[in-house]
Amino acid sequence: MAIRFKSLSYIYDKDMPYAHKALDNIDLEIKEGIITAIIGETGSGKSTLVEHLNALLLPSEGSLEILDYNLVANQKIKFLKPLRKDVGLVFQFSEYQLFEETVIKDVAFGPLNFGFSLEEAIARAKEALKLVKIDESLFETSPLELSGGQKRRVAIAGILACDPKIIVLDEPTAGLDPKGAKEIINLFVSLNRQSHKTIIIVSHDNEMVYNCCEETVVLSHGQIKYHGPTLDLFADEKILKEYDLLEPQIVTFKNLLAKKGIKVSKQARTIEMIAKEVAGQVKR
Amino acid sequence: MNNLVFGKYIPIDSLIHRIDPRAKLIGLFLMIAAVFIPKSWIVFGVIALFIAIGLILAKIGIKMIVQSFKPMIMMMIFLLVINSLTIKTGEVLFTIGTFEIYSDAIFNTLFVIVRLLLMISITTLLTATTKPLDLTMGIEWMLKPLQILHFPTHEVAMMVSIALRFIPTIIEETIRIMNAQKSRGVDFENGKLGEKITAILALIVPLFSVAFERAYELADAMEARGYVPGAERTRYHVLKFEFLDFLFIIICAAILAFSIASRFYL
Amino acid sequence: MSLIEIRDLSYSYNESKKAVDGISLNIEKGSYTTIIGHNGSGKSTLAKLIAGLLPIKQGEVIVNGLKMSEENLPEIRKELGIVFQNPDNQFIGSTVKDDIAFGLENKRVRSEDMEPIIEEYANKVGLSAFLDHEPQNLSGGQKQRVAIAGILAMHPNIIIFDEATSMLDPKGKKEIKKLMYDLADDEANEITIISITHDIEEVLQSDDCVVLNKGKLFMHDKPEKVFEDAEKLRQIDLDVPFIEQIREVFRKQHIKLKAHDMEGMVDELWRFASNH
Repeated sequence: MAIRFKSLSYIYDKDMPYAHKALDNIDLEIKEGIITAIIGETGSGKSTLVEHLNALLLPSEGSLEILDYNLVANQKIKFLKPLRKDVGLVFQFSEYQLFEETVIKDVAFGPLNFGFSLEEAIARAKEALKLVKIDESLFETSPLELSGGQKRRVAIAGILACDPKIIVLDEPTAGLDPKGAKEIINLFVSLNRQSHKTIIIVSHDNEMVYNCCEETVVLSHGQIKYHGPTLDLFADEKILKEYDLLEPQIVTFKNLLAKKGIKVSKQARTIEMIAKEVAGQVKR
Repeated sequence: MNNLVFGKYIPIDSLIHRIDPRAKLIGLFLMIAAVFIPKSWIVFGVIALFIAIGLILAKIGIKMIVQSFKPMIMMMIFLLVINSLTIKTGEVLFTIGTFEIYSDAIFNTLFVIVRLLLMISITTLLTATTKPLDLTMGIEWMLKPLQILHFPTHEVAMMVSIALRFIPTIIEETIRIMNAQKSRGVDFENGKLGEKITAILALIVPLFSVAFERAYELADAMEARGYVPGAERTRYHVLKFEFLDFLFIIICAAILAFSIASRFYL
Repeated sequence: MSLIEIRDLSYSYNESKKAVDGISLNIEKGSYTTIIGHNGSGKSTLAKLIAGLLPIKQGEVIVNGLKMSEENLPEIRKELGIVFQNPDNQFIGSTVKDDIAFGLENKRVRSEDMEPIIEEYANKVGLSAFLDHEPQNLSGGQKQRVAIAGILAMHPNIIIFDEATSMLDPKGKKEIKKLMYDLADDEANEITIISITHDIEEVLQSDDCVVLNKGKLFMHDKPEKVFEDAEKLRQIDLDVPFIEQIREVFRKQHIKLKAHDMEGMVDELWRFASNH
């Protein structure tokens, strides 16, 4: 188990008349080595939940275990840096964290803060930039001169260079064009496949969630309404309706096929997989 | 940042809220003058009484006023120490070790502190009951005479109101960038000088680049909606002086008159 | 005469690269045109040139018979409004009311006439209950609706949406798209809509689609025609509608689907399947 929330609640402006419970008694276990999606409408508590994973917020009630770290309500913590090294957080519009004079310096900034030597930090930065497909010719340019998509990838490299064990992404594709979005998602899918990194993606993009995420957590008003296999979630029309979740087009297609008696297995999550199964039932 | 009380607008309706911002600004100047003139505790008492009535009418809790005093405590202590060291007139009230504290030191400090507290209360009364935008319009009106000197009062007022509108957005942005940098191992609280400088840069550089981006986009949006700097525009909000506003100014003026008179007769 | 005529328009931010490169096209009155292309294809630059937010250096833009120039700009501005991508960066007033009033103030509408106009257009975008709300307490979709109300209040003939839904959550996207479709269908006002977008679903709702690639006009046609050749679109890094993806993938399995919607395709598949 990578992460375990135990009856965790978070209250903004506690003790104030306008206190607001953003997370309400969360019990959640996130598995190691898979991609988990967190979905839910704006204001459902997704970002609050994510900020706990880096101890940017501390539980008001309950506790949270991340790897070997334990965050308990009203207890001071001494392991901020190692925790933040092990859990890499990629914020929404992460390009706004770029500030160094050159791309390579910016990517090496995290590793340097976490105690890597200069050479090691540079080596890690280079490796991370290669992963996100930033050309070597751009290493010495100012990050502020890059295009939107490139900036986003440099920011992500800045997190990957710290060699986190868990990667948390808050809407990593917001504001990108379809191609840029696809590149970023593919990057994390292959990171997960190749090095079995635990990845958590907060997203509004249910198509992507269906396609890439093994498990899904549905948050609503600070409470967990569903946690389990993504394929089961989107097969359950009742839950989708209740929490106003957009049905992925591929699910619509599968449901239409099923209605006509054309059999498609639950595991089919791409058009290719469906086509192959359907082709077997069709005589040309 | 949310604990900041001084200058915060309280969005409720009250008699004081309804007074014209220009009248309140004039009142503010009259009252501040009234606070600085007298040397008599009785006059301070009278002024404090009027302020208290104002606060009650404005439905501002005592808690908020006390909180607005908080940032001044350090300054008051500092003042007391300086005055004790430098003022050596009046009677010796008591001694600390061999050091003598004179009565004038204490009284002088108390005078300054009371004036300060009264001033803060008056200003809080203004800012808590006046929308930032109305305040800007009031200030613009007061600066009008400067237009003769080609001072761009309208543009300044527009700038101020936009700045006010963007404060919450920028605060949000600051928190977001700080969080992102904390996740990259930046420690904003501890660290050596060099680390501190880097931490500040890691916040300031992105903040500026976002602010500029916002500014450019906002300028485009304003231009696209027909805004031309310096061109004549009509105004949606029109300020109108009414009986209540005149009454308010008269009361403030009366307090000032009383305060001036006190210097001669009390 | 077309409402907007663009002749051999080019623009570059720096000398090395042209952001817009020799584009000519016409946009008809009352039409709903979508402009698509990958980031950096010149979409936003084109929109800004049409809106008069960038100076014309090469070529010309003619709006309603008026050539875009410094003298004509104030006249042309009255014709068009633009909704930008970031809902936070176009909210000028400190409340919904004040923001809708901003354009009216610039237009020198008398202050006593503003209230009914503000109410009318707040109502039109469904924000009557939010008139005194401040921007930070509104959702992204609501902020964009305020921007649209502010623009509608100026009675423009043309509204440009510059990726107006791309930063919104699904609910916000839905709200704004619905509003855009309603405006496009509003026969009485005949507003011409130009929308820069990545949203294929939206493109399919439009009358015409302009495809840009590296600053050049790649295609200008009916949306169905544009999406006919999926391979061609992929080459310029564009997404293909889901329905066309299905067609493509099944073709590789040697199953030819002809229908134009998902139900039709499933029907075809069912007929194929029940044949054996």
